[in-house]
Amino acid sequence: MERKDYLKEPVEHIKIDGALTVDELMGQFKNSGSLGAGRLAAACDIYEKMIKDKDCTLFLALSGAVVPAGMRALVADLVRNHLVDVIVSTGACMVHDAIEAVGGHHYKGGWVVDDAELYRYHLFRIYDILVPEEDFVKLDLILSEMYADIAKQHKGKPLASDEFAFEIGKRLTDKNSILCAAYEEGVPIFSPSARDSEFGFIHWLHASQKNQQNVLQLDAFKDVPTICGICSRSPKNAMLVLGGGVPRNTIQSAALASKKGLDYAIVITLDRPETGGLSGSTLEETVSWGKMKGKADHAMVIGEALMVFPFVVASAKERLGIDFKRESFLQREKRSIQK
Amino acid sequence: MIDEECCGNCDSHNSYHYPTKVFCSTRYDKDQDPIVDTLWRCDDYNKVSQPCYCVREALNVKNGTE
Repeated sequence: MERKDYLKEPVEHIKIDGALTVDELMGQFKNSGSLGAGRLAAACDIYEKMIKDKDCTLFLALSGAVVPAGMRALVADLVRNHLVDVIVSTGACMVHDAIEAVGGHHYKGGWVVDDAELYRYHLFRIYDILVPEEDFVKLDLILSEMYADIAKQHKGKPLASDEFAFEIGKRLTDKNSILCAAYEEGVPIFSPSARDSEFGFIHWLHASQKNQQNVLQLDAFKDVPTICGICSRSPKNAMLVLGGGVPRNTIQSAALASKKGLDYAIVITLDRPETGGLSGSTLEETVSWGKMKGKADHAMVIGEALMVFPFVVASAKERLGIDFKRESFLQREKRSIQK
Repeated sequence: MIDEECCGNCDSHNSYHYPTKVFCSTRYDKDQDPIVDTLWRCDDYNKVSQPCYCVREALNVKNGTE
């Protein structure tokens, strides 16, 4: 590169003259093009591109306190509007979703609290969010019955995690539930770490119950050909990560195993790359593995997902307009098979 | 903390309808109704390792001193 190539675009200063829409504010951030604002504006542009790319399958990775903090309905709406095509989630995110789907709640709390007192009141804390133990217990009882019903229906055959999520979603009726929306819209939810959540620990209770005839079997290895098959068949693949961990790794590894490499990627995280852990690893590092294409559109926004992601979604929806309809590659594929 | 031998002070309890009803994992394992009164007890009583407020608050409800 020559010197002049480094000096093509001057920073334009952010101007807020009266009322701005979300997308107008993102436009101002793009004018700055710097620091977190620049990355956020880039993420908005890339999400719009992913959605508008008819050949692209959009994988959403969910981890952390996405649901307890209040993004459950937002994600369910994305599913219902086909603005995401596949979800890969921690078990916990789906447990939090199921808690609310059966009538439980998460409560606004604080982070300077007497945790020993919370323990005595049977209240659990997720940073500044509280959830009563009884909401877990009520879900446990419902899940245990669901597990027996699912196992009976499948005659002891092990389920992949997307089949498990499908069966749970089928038995929920709350329209704001991610699991319910995914079942109704045919959007697969993979949960490779389902065991490491209440889904796993309630299995112990379910399986140890006297006279239990139908013990549910879950086989995480069954996920691999399914998710790699989706990546392989999709002309293009995109990844949108809230947090990181197992869900991010699952998507990236599927992109690698299918020898496709991601075409688009957005990561919203507070994790750092210096630890060598995956959650904070840069997307450039991902290129070295072949998990993302070298020319992929990508942005890594260092920020808390609850603050960042609603801006990305609001900006994209504003650009697309209320009449925008998207038919994903997977939907088209399903339609052609049904013919 | 109130040191009475009842379900709300038993190691097998979790909150179900705080503070008056608890979920009993021992009864659940035995395929018996797992939802019992906080102030009830059975022969499987096993003192809880970390006490909670269930019994104190259930007694307050029972005595109308809430």
